[in-house]
Amino acid sequence: MSDKNCETGHAEGAVIKVDNVSYDYRSGEHVSRGVRGVSLVVNRGEFVVLLGHNGSGKSTLAKLLNGFVVPDEGTVTVEGIDTRDNERIYELRAKVGMVFQNADNQMVASVIENDIAFGPENLGVPREEIEKRITWALDAVNMSEHRKRSPNKLSGGQKQRIAIAAILAMYPDVLILDESTAMLDPKGRAEIMETIQRLNKEKGLTVILITHYMDEAIAADKIFVMNEGRVIAEGTPREVFSATDKIAEAKLELPVASKISAELRRAGLDIPFALTDEELTEGLCGLK
Amino acid sequence: MRDITLGQYYPADSFTHKLDPRVKLVLVIAFIVMVFLVKNLIAYAAVILCVVLGTLISRIPISKVLKSIKTIIFLVLFTAVLNLLFYKGDTVLWSWWRISVSLEGILFSIKMALRLILLVMGTTLLTYTTTPTGLTDGMESLMYPLKLIKVPTHDIAVIMSIALRFIPILSEEVDKIMMAQKARGASFDTGGIVKRAKALLPVLIPLFVSAFRRADELALALDARCYNATPNRTRYQIMKPTYRDLIAVAGTAAFIVLVVALNMNFWGAYVPSESLWWLFS
Repeated sequence: MSDKNCETGHAEGAVIKVDNVSYDYRSGEHVSRGVRGVSLVVNRGEFVVLLGHNGSGKSTLAKLLNGFVVPDEGTVTVEGIDTRDNERIYELRAKVGMVFQNADNQMVASVIENDIAFGPENLGVPREEIEKRITWALDAVNMSEHRKRSPNKLSGGQKQRIAIAAILAMYPDVLILDESTAMLDPKGRAEIMETIQRLNKEKGLTVILITHYMDEAIAADKIFVMNEGRVIAEGTPREVFSATDKIAEAKLELPVASKISAELRRAGLDIPFALTDEELTEGLCGLK
Repeated sequence: MRDITLGQYYPADSFTHKLDPRVKLVLVIAFIVMVFLVKNLIAYAAVILCVVLGTLISRIPISKVLKSIKTIIFLVLFTAVLNLLFYKGDTVLWSWWRISVSLEGILFSIKMALRLILLVMGTTLLTYTTTPTGLTDGMESLMYPLKLIKVPTHDIAVIMSIALRFIPILSEEVDKIMMAQKARGASFDTGGIVKRAKALLPVLIPLFVSAFRRADELALALDARCYNATPNRTRYQIMKPTYRDLIAVAGTAAFIVLVVALNMNFWGAYVPSESLWWLFS
């Protein structure tokens, strides 16, 4: 894939390639496992979910994707840029925007528009262009009316949407959300899910969502399930969710509808595997 | 949430809000110097007029201004009482042991109280009308000479901005930790001063732990947003002095001249009548 295609943002194909990557955390003598032999490809415009419980290595993988840590073995490339390439590390980080768990710890300014301007300012974007980007990014997360306000009075979901806008203003190709819904209440989580799915569908943004909530993975194009530093399952939500043994191995919890349908199937009922409540209802109503 | 006036920007669309932060910073410094130079009550009246006009122009609600005074009211009363009791004046009205109340003492303590209140009112006018970003940008710009001798002025400005941003977050956290400790039977408002200080220890330790954890995540977030990516960093908020700044400077200058003139009785040209001496002493 040529660089020119990358710039336009419409090229098909792989944005992120992780090739047989291993990484361990070392502090002195102590070594703790990060990820082991992980390979995966994320294509442009995909909505990818990395599932795993605490300590499964999913956050380490996220840190590998934008060069916060570099692999001990294997390579991570983003649009052809190796994360080991120190010369282009900021170019890479601007392409792979990362939103973290706690929105409060990601904001640097006390007025929302200034906070959003921070990323583009660091990249040396001209002033008029920054103005446009702020308007665009706030509109993309439906927070335009808060532009001149302080983030302190916002709800958790709203703060996290501002954090997303702050990353969007850098015009990334990929948006990584590292457990960004973990601290939110159900309403806040729904807000974030709605926002990122809309960004993915309408703006064609590649989204990588890292979470341990399986219900957030239902709408994904592709799921990778991680356990003990390895990818133990991958595929569409239907493929991954119906592999109930793998889900149990990864100590994850199936959404209620899937759980019920899986149990019913085991009990001998002839219903399809359900991902959502609607599918379960349909399946049950179809029973003779 | 706890009330921390510092860094609490009051959004409004006023003349003062639109001023260049650098101009405001310089004017506030001039104001502080002016307040410290004022000697007699009639000059204080001019300063009061200056602050009241400034507040009105800034469209800051009176409740906000009173709130900022409330935070220093104890200090004001304390110094006023001390001054009242220990000022050595000539016209003694009442005395006992080493304590004496004199007419001069009364005037002096009124002046000191006024001075403190005016200082707070004047300086909070700056923080109410200027966004923290504006303040830090302004300071960075005023620190420009230091940049020439390789002082990292931009980093200092970012540090200030983050500090301002985290004041309300950390104060909220203190409240939460205190509540959690209270729920487990801790008591923060009984016992002597040593006991109370000791009781705060279980608040400070979790606070520090959490602050470090936040700092860790913030460092990653700064990196994720390409902090220090290029030396040619651009600026969204540009500061350009306008005619407004000229008016503000001229207005403040006029007030300073007036205050100095009143302070010196128009360079001795005006001799107050006997009955008005207290206004001009």
